[in-house]
Amino acid sequence: MKYPELIVTARDIEEVKQLVNSGADAIRIGNQQYGLRVAGDFNLNEIEEATAYTHQHNRKIYVVTNAIFHNDSIDKLPNYLDCLLQIKIDGIICGDPSIFSILNDLNKSLAIHWNPETLATNHDTLAFWQSKGINRALLSNELGMDAVLEIKTKLEIPIEVQIHGMTCIFQSKRKLVTNYYNYINGTELMDMSQHSDKRLHLKQLKEPESNYPIFEDCNGTHVMSNEDLCMVDHIEPLINSGIDALRINGMMNSRKYNQRIVEIYRKAIDLCCEYPINYLSQIESMKREILEIQPVERILGTGFYFKEQIY
Amino acid sequence: MSNKTALKLKKPELLAPAGNLEKLKFAIHYGADAVYIGGKQFGLRSKAGNFSFEDMEEGVKFAKKYGAKVYVAANIIAHNENLEGAQSYFKKLYEIGISAVIIADPALITACRQAAPDLEIHISTQASITNWRTVQFWKNEGIPRVVLAREVSIKEVRQIKEKVDIELETFIHGAMCISYSGRCVLSNHMTSRDANRGGCAQSCRWKYDLYEDGVDESVNISEQNDEAYTMSSKDLSMVEHLPDLIDLGVDSLKIEGRMKSIHYVATVVNVYRKIIDSYVDNPKEFKMNQQWIDEIWKAAQRSLTTAFSYQEPTESDQLFGIPDRLPKYDFAGLVLAYDDRTKLATIQQRNSFKVGDEIEFFGPDFYHFKQTIQLIWDENDKPIEIAKHAMMMIKVKVDHPVNYYDMMRKGK
Repeated sequence: MKYPELIVTARDIEEVKQLVNSGADAIRIGNQQYGLRVAGDFNLNEIEEATAYTHQHNRKIYVVTNAIFHNDSIDKLPNYLDCLLQIKIDGIICGDPSIFSILNDLNKSLAIHWNPETLATNHDTLAFWQSKGINRALLSNELGMDAVLEIKTKLEIPIEVQIHGMTCIFQSKRKLVTNYYNYINGTELMDMSQHSDKRLHLKQLKEPESNYPIFEDCNGTHVMSNEDLCMVDHIEPLINSGIDALRINGMMNSRKYNQRIVEIYRKAIDLCCEYPINYLSQIESMKREILEIQPVERILGTGFYFKEQIY
Repeated sequence: MSNKTALKLKKPELLAPAGNLEKLKFAIHYGADAVYIGGKQFGLRSKAGNFSFEDMEEGVKFAKKYGAKVYVAANIIAHNENLEGAQSYFKKLYEIGISAVIIADPALITACRQAAPDLEIHISTQASITNWRTVQFWKNEGIPRVVLAREVSIKEVRQIKEKVDIELETFIHGAMCISYSGRCVLSNHMTSRDANRGGCAQSCRWKYDLYEDGVDESVNISEQNDEAYTMSSKDLSMVEHLPDLIDLGVDSLKIEGRMKSIHYVATVVNVYRKIIDSYVDNPKEFKMNQQWIDEIWKAAQRSLTTAFSYQEPTESDQLFGIPDRLPKYDFAGLVLAYDDRTKLATIQQRNSFKVGDEIEFFGPDFYHFKQTIQLIWDENDKPIEIAKHAMMMIKVKVDHPVNYYDMMRKGK
């Protein structure tokens, strides 16, 4: 059985090292100015250091450059990409078609992992982007298992899906937390992007137990899912169908938690590929282990993998 | 623009929403150069009336008489199972004489190109186009027009216009997503209704409690301040700023609202038609008229904002606390005929009105007058006090001549 790549986000160099040692095949990092919802902010020196470390250990490093670029920021992107190319990272994660002309202007090639988030939901769309030069497709989190597997059968480029952690469910360019505080405080104006240490969540009033993390940064306001995806007991169909990469989003979790989660998924993938019977017999214990370390306010779920949507 | 007298300004297209055939006719009669509609498939307003192919045919025929265009929004973000039938759908639209389709998902571009290579494609605002390079990408793909994201400022529109030779369409009026359009799955997650396929439950406008999470406990800030957290935006209105958009050469000015009423569409189109014509015909002498602004407020459903046009929106661009009081008007009746000899208008009732009511007639080209209802006759020419039945035909004595398609509104 082909091993899928196990990818995980990291917040800093220390975590890159920890997660490589815990069994991640690839690490996803980025800089807030260019990438959305990074687990931690990496400057170019740190990206270089992370790249050196992962490469020494024969692992991959991917950098998110998936911001929703406006004119001022798109004009800074070529130089940034040029720097990333010199560092020899293994791929960028992006979702703006500007990328094709920028790489063309630079006359360089760089693996493009296509992730327009909510907008990659069918095989023909991804085939279109494949014809423009993408090297991998990261599927929308709002797809069912059947849709994921169908896309895999119809597309030649590698497919990546998220299997664990929170997902983004809303992004606005506006400062929706600052605006609220300014409204309730009246005179004392504040800027939430200066309070990045502040952890906030929304409760949907009709859903009393709900907990939707919300935060602001230079890309605007982000609302995250109420549940953490947890597919440890459902990776078999993904692996059997040849899905190429499985991703863990570790943002907002403790280092210890992320380390343990990577170890558990490493084990799950290895078992599933080598000894499927053992995987099946150990599913329950692996799931239990995750439940034991799961923060009490974060429920686990399977997202849209097994849920019907109406429209 | 200092040389605006020397330079002949290009008149932008005024593009209006039409949720059904009747709305299409009103939008065009009141001055829209083009309307956008939804078909039974691939559109984002699953709850709007939407058009059968027969309705589209009639709509296109009606539009042609006015030299107007009809666009069809096919702007869902499709899942695998939604792609079926796309090719025959676009082929049919082309045969009907639709001028362009508005698409967000490249899969549908592919389908449209295969089935109807000559059908023009515009890229929808759902694709979140926010910079000139992305616009250039679509230009290179042979796309003649893009609808910019609502987050793009006037300054950025100008930069894009300078760098890329392509038609730009921007929103000038109506309700807005507070997220980047297409990037919000709140509705999917909270109600299993897929917003990107037309099922949006408007979860952003709901009320929430905001908590600050401490090490040991979370504090409910909303409860503490007795003010729910919400993310609802005021509605966009560029009514006082159209010259800025016309000067920089925006090609199409778009009004949102396929779900809105006939009264809304006619009123808003009427105002923008008047402003565009007044400005382009004589930019030097152009002055904003308070009446135009007042008229916009008669149709407004929320407070208004210029959103991202001039600066980043703040709390004053959102709807917090008790909603502002807005003027409220009902569409009371539609003029079907007028007899110049008797000064009687034949009217189809749309909302109850009675003798003594202060009403306002209005029609295309910003025709307006107010009067009091003196006498009402029913179909049998019998005087009545109140016109209370929906769609009943009555006659009313009017102070000034009126025409078919003129409307009568009444304050609530």
